[in-house]
Amino acid sequence: MPRFATLSDAWMAWDGPARAPRGVVLDQTRELDKFLADIERRAFRMAQVALRDPDDALDAVQDAMLKLARNYASKPSAEWRPLFYRILENGIRDLQRRRAVRKRLMVWLPGPKEDPDNEAQDPMENVAASGPDAPERLMQAEAIEKLESSLRELPARQREAFMLRNFEGLDVAGTAAAMGCSEGSVKTHYSRAVHALRARLGEVW
Amino acid sequence: MNESSISGFEERSRALFDASVDDIDMRVRSRLTQARYAALEAAARPPRFFRAPWFASAAGITGAAVLAVALWFGAPHGPHAPTAADTQASLEDLDIVASSDENSGAPMEMLQDDVEFYDWAAQKTADSDSDSGSVG
Repeated sequence: MPRFATLSDAWMAWDGPARAPRGVVLDQTRELDKFLADIERRAFRMAQVALRDPDDALDAVQDAMLKLARNYASKPSAEWRPLFYRILENGIRDLQRRRAVRKRLMVWLPGPKEDPDNEAQDPMENVAASGPDAPERLMQAEAIEKLESSLRELPARQREAFMLRNFEGLDVAGTAAAMGCSEGSVKTHYSRAVHALRARLGEVW
Repeated sequence: MNESSISGFEERSRALFDASVDDIDMRVRSRLTQARYAALEAAARPPRFFRAPWFASAAGITGAAVLAVALWFGAPHGPHAPTAADTQASLEDLDIVASSDENSGAPMEMLQDDVEFYDWAAQKTADSDSDSGSVG
């Protein structure tokens, strides 16, 4: 049975879990930083469309970033985007479920009844009140608000398919990976979403 | 509803979404950056296969202490007596354990990360001691 003269000898003899060399870890960290920086704002807006509340959206994105970094950083970077959105959508669904339970509890509990949906930030608040392009920006904010409220009225799977395909630019295979369904289902959800949105927003929108 | 009107609708909705992304305020941008740094920090840490309960961490730290004492005071049972070079190597090892560089975090954190290794090494040393005791 060995007895170690030094700690180095013990490390040499240990066949525990191997660690990636530091250079590899640094390259991977840089790549992950670039990926997350590229994706974070769009992911936040997509989460905000689904959840309305900006703080809930931030929580969902932060949670998705952490889970991707902890569990999937070693995967090929080409797989990160669908994985990230799959984690994010799961997080959004969890938050929506918790919110629904909280709403039901609030009915039974005494005290002021708060509706989290009413606390959502009004997108018009961010629009500058004056300036040469103020009318144009107001119209744009109004159009965004209409689009978002129409997206919220869609079934969750249709909304996911539309945002991943159209806003995030994922192809059918990537969207299917992110949604955890077949490519055929993605096409069906997407097509239904486009037609439903067109019907809600009107031909002239 | 024809293909070109659908395509126009897709383009317009995408352009609106992109504009809303550009309009994200500084508070949110700053919080997203903080979230990204936290995620990168988590990714840079060595993988943990399980979250050890507090008593397992304590056992690992105790194991590390036992191993350090054994290395420090224990004479090797090999064919040669400890030399100045062996002592120097032990001192360097202890120095490595006690110090921390820019990326390794606090020494205690490093010890906790290596709990499995120290448990294993302490066990091997203890086995070695009991084997040599039964022979001698």
